[in-house]
Amino acid sequence: MAFVKAGRADVITRPCPPTKRALAWHSMDPRPLPRPNALTAPYWEACRRGELTVQRCRSCGRRVHLPEPVCPHCGGTDLPYEAVSGHGRVHTFSVVHRAFLPGFAIPYVIAWIDLEEGVRAFGGIVGDIAPDDVRIGLPVRVRFDDLPGFGHIPNWRPA
Amino acid sequence: MQGFSGKAAVAGVGMTDLSRHSGRTELQLAVEAARHAIDEAGQRPDAILGYHLGDSAPVIHVARELRIELGWHNEIYGGGTQCASILGDAAMLIDAGLARTVLVYRALNGRSGRRMNTLSLKLGEGVEEQFTHPYGLAGPVQQFALAAQRYLHHTGLTEEHLCAVVRGSRTHAVANPRALRREVEDYWASPMVASPLRRADCCQETDGACALVITSADRAPAAPRVHAVVRGGGPGASAMDRTDDVTRIFSSHVAGPLFAAAGMTPADVDVALLYDAYSWLVPRQLEDFGLCARADLAATLHDGLATVNPHGGLLSEGYVHGLNNVAEAVRQLRGDGVNQVPGAEVALCTGFGGSYGSAAILVRPGTGR
Repeated sequence: MAFVKAGRADVITRPCPPTKRALAWHSMDPRPLPRPNALTAPYWEACRRGELTVQRCRSCGRRVHLPEPVCPHCGGTDLPYEAVSGHGRVHTFSVVHRAFLPGFAIPYVIAWIDLEEGVRAFGGIVGDIAPDDVRIGLPVRVRFDDLPGFGHIPNWRPA
Repeated sequence: MQGFSGKAAVAGVGMTDLSRHSGRTELQLAVEAARHAIDEAGQRPDAILGYHLGDSAPVIHVARELRIELGWHNEIYGGGTQCASILGDAAMLIDAGLARTVLVYRALNGRSGRRMNTLSLKLGEGVEEQFTHPYGLAGPVQQFALAAQRYLHHTGLTEEHLCAVVRGSRTHAVANPRALRREVEDYWASPMVASPLRRADCCQETDGACALVITSADRAPAAPRVHAVVRGGGPGASAMDRTDDVTRIFSSHVAGPLFAAAGMTPADVDVALLYDAYSWLVPRQLEDFGLCARADLAATLHDGLATVNPHGGLLSEGYVHGLNNVAEAVRQLRGDGVNQVPGAEVALCTGFGGSYGSAAILVRPGTGR
């Protein structure tokens, strides 16, 4: 697998506001925004409603995340999004002290979360915990935070 | 045994000075390294292979500068995974009669030109970046820091052991005049980049070039032979959303096929040139290639490994996308390596790109291997 240059169609960096609101924030928050596509739009729409959803294959019943157009387990192509509990544990994490994207205040914590439902989600570890206290196995639950110019995106706080 | 096994030999290696600001074009760097390798080999290439990420000198420009009458030539788009397997590409051309002598090179201004710190692994449709960039994940250091954290958790190793890997690399590099880092600095003073990886746990961003000249074994009877080469990969650190083991890297996929192709066991390896883009990749590869059991890693790393990256590796010599480690494998088998491993007859060299990559075994001729 090759390394590929970052900065592509599925992520946009301001200035490139998708809404009028983004214009107001543009100079204040240069963090990259997700740009939903047909596959991921239902996920982000649910986030805006404060709901965490992941795909579930209608053929084999297994959950799939990150989103896929075709079920990696059985090849099924009907994978509607279903709400999940929003509870999980930290699978692994890193405390980032050198950001390579604009708009992030260091240090910040990134993590893969094992959801109760058996899939793995990504996000930041936020809330009432110091970065150096984050541990593998830490129970967490989802918290939706506003990403100015986009809407709510899921983060993870100690449960 | 692979069809090309023993048919091709690395007759010459060449490198430019390694620096952080070459002030030269990739073409100038590539041509200088190639001239050194060609001089050493005493053979004129009729074929050229290069690998790059859109940041190297084009093959046909190198051919023109070197006035090579060009036969087979190709550019492989790829990074660290290529550095070992390109030996196989060259050996196949020679074994198939498509080329007599193949020039292989990598040139880059990896510090003063295009840096790799924001490159990212991309699989499938690439939608994963919607799910990671908004949280500030970008680039290989952070990606492989996530794997490293879990690796320490799995193995019980600690930052003390990462420190030991770096200290071992720097200690080796003291004797290497090519190395960018030749002093054993205070590891704990090195700034954290993405825990558990400090700057010292990451390889050197480097300007420079490395070239190899590979020819048929009968044209270079004393030169190290290309014995076995494999390339592969699968689930693991390249796609952490869907793998049982985010710490799994290429070596766990290719080690078995490599030894099977070589007709060897780990005990046959005299010197290992492991792709050490990050410190934790050393213990992970030691395990995967059967060079050290997990239970013995802590003690082994603490004691230091004279037979692993004796020149200091990518962590200290520099990062010519792994090809400089392959060059050192060749030197070790010739007996003119840095901190030469006495009597080295079998060398392992590896190419990392997350859970995809390659590995090769080179052997000194006339040893019955």
